[in-house]
Amino acid sequence: MTERRNKQINESDVDAWMRAHLDDGDLLAIGGLFKQGRPTALVREVIRAQRKALDVVSSPGSGFDVDLLIAAGCVATTYCPAVTLEDRMCPAFRGAVETGQIRAHCVDALSVVGGYLASANGVPFQPVVAWKGSDVPKNNPLVAMITCPFSGEDLFATRAIQPKVALIHAQEGDRFGNLRHLSTMTYADQLIARASNYVIASVDRIVSPEDILARPRETSIPGIYVDAVVELPYGAHPSGSFPNYSIDEHFIENYATLAEAARKGDSAGLEGYLSKTVTGCGTLAEYIDQIGQESLNALEAEAQSL
Amino acid sequence: MSNYSKQELQAVILARDLKDGEMGAAGAAAAIPMAAILLARQMQAPNLMIAGEMFVNPNPTQIWPSMLDDRALGACEAAETFLELFGHSHRGLDFFFHNGLQIDARGNINLHYVGGSLHAPKMRGPGAANISYAGTSKRFYICPTVHSKRNFVERVDFITSPGFLDGPESFAKSGLKGGPSLCVTPLAVLDFDASTLRMRLKSVHEGISVDQVVDNTGFDLVIPTDVPVTAPPTNQELRLLREKVDTKGYLRDL
Repeated sequence: MTERRNKQINESDVDAWMRAHLDDGDLLAIGGLFKQGRPTALVREVIRAQRKALDVVSSPGSGFDVDLLIAAGCVATTYCPAVTLEDRMCPAFRGAVETGQIRAHCVDALSVVGGYLASANGVPFQPVVAWKGSDVPKNNPLVAMITCPFSGEDLFATRAIQPKVALIHAQEGDRFGNLRHLSTMTYADQLIARASNYVIASVDRIVSPEDILARPRETSIPGIYVDAVVELPYGAHPSGSFPNYSIDEHFIENYATLAEAARKGDSAGLEGYLSKTVTGCGTLAEYIDQIGQESLNALEAEAQSL
Repeated sequence: MSNYSKQELQAVILARDLKDGEMGAAGAAAAIPMAAILLARQMQAPNLMIAGEMFVNPNPTQIWPSMLDDRALGACEAAETFLELFGHSHRGLDFFFHNGLQIDARGNINLHYVGGSLHAPKMRGPGAANISYAGTSKRFYICPTVHSKRNFVERVDFITSPGFLDGPESFAKSGLKGGPSLCVTPLAVLDFDASTLRMRLKSVHEGISVDQVVDNTGFDLVIPTDVPVTAPPTNQELRLLREKVDTKGYLRDL
């Protein structure tokens, strides 16, 4: 008798998984939104695997990790509606678009969410009515005009988005790939998982299959949509993984200052940062050493105080 | 010397304009808009509903630099997903808020680029997550934290989210129904002249002159003969803002 397939992989196996599933030039999807639920440890694995010319898509809001991928030279094209640290701009994104190193397509939330929805449902596009007056749909490569087959009215269509690989972070999951978000917001994670060819998820904690069976309504992404799951405590840092740990604004700010200096011509600080926290950190333990357990404790305390 | 910050004043002015029973939302980097909504709920609008892209009626205990993560949204009446973007967008909202790299005389918003072209920009901005409320909502507010000739321009380089486009004719032709209602800046409150749909000075904040507003605006404002001073926050407004909404003083420190 054979056993049910175990989708849990070790941290040391992630590199091989990434190299086997993600090629140069592929479309990569990143879960979470802005500074929450971002699979940042998996993003660092993409950088360490030295993938190039990637097309990148996410939920409607991205920031730190997309900027980091761009700073590390992994990106050719973005399909990200907003790329911002919210209180300041993303320096590498801005610099790379202005110098022509990357092409940042002009897309918005409906076209990205609609694109995932279409892909998840196996149809080539999603109809959209809610765009008028804006220059965005005119310049959006995912959008075309169609005629409603029932009413004859003009409306927009937004093309299905089918990422090759999706990176997702959840707070809990079991060895069969069932994921459970404990955070209040899950953003587009469920749609991204359903839209993508391959899904790898990091979780703060692996739980037993019995634990998943006991609370099935709380399974946010069923294991049928997940190809690999890896336990990576603090795997979302510096983004927040609520209710476990909050957002490391200081860490993000520090990165942004170095990346902004690089944009203005002084890249020594950014290169040091990348080698210290990305390429020079082969394991999460080394990364946590760099961050310092004390600051992680403070982020846990902040998350608990909310 | 006033006993309130510019950002507190902006939140109070916006709060006064929100009506009981309305439904609205604020986007990313939305400290001032979210404070305005929460303050209005403490005052005249207890039935004001907040329907964001994937949440209903959040109940934050303080104002954060971002209002789209669990710090602000952890407690809310319903946690949905981005699927709801379609539902919320097609039903429309009574109001929402915008800020921009550029804001023009007709209230058009640009968050994409300044100078050059989309794929060869002189300066690339962040873009916009959600522009779908522009076409389906009844009105929007513009609330920049800066008012200068750099961001207040005659015509935006790119329309990320439409205001009154190029005026009454193009606006009517577009099929848009809502449009910008008020622009609340650190210097003044502006509305829109009904015949030209150009921005008009409505009031200047305490200690700010009409000339200062004109000098910091990169287009010709419609200036009425009588420009009043913006009513400063009342003691009650400031007390509720600080005790119930912005409990850690985020808007005071900005």
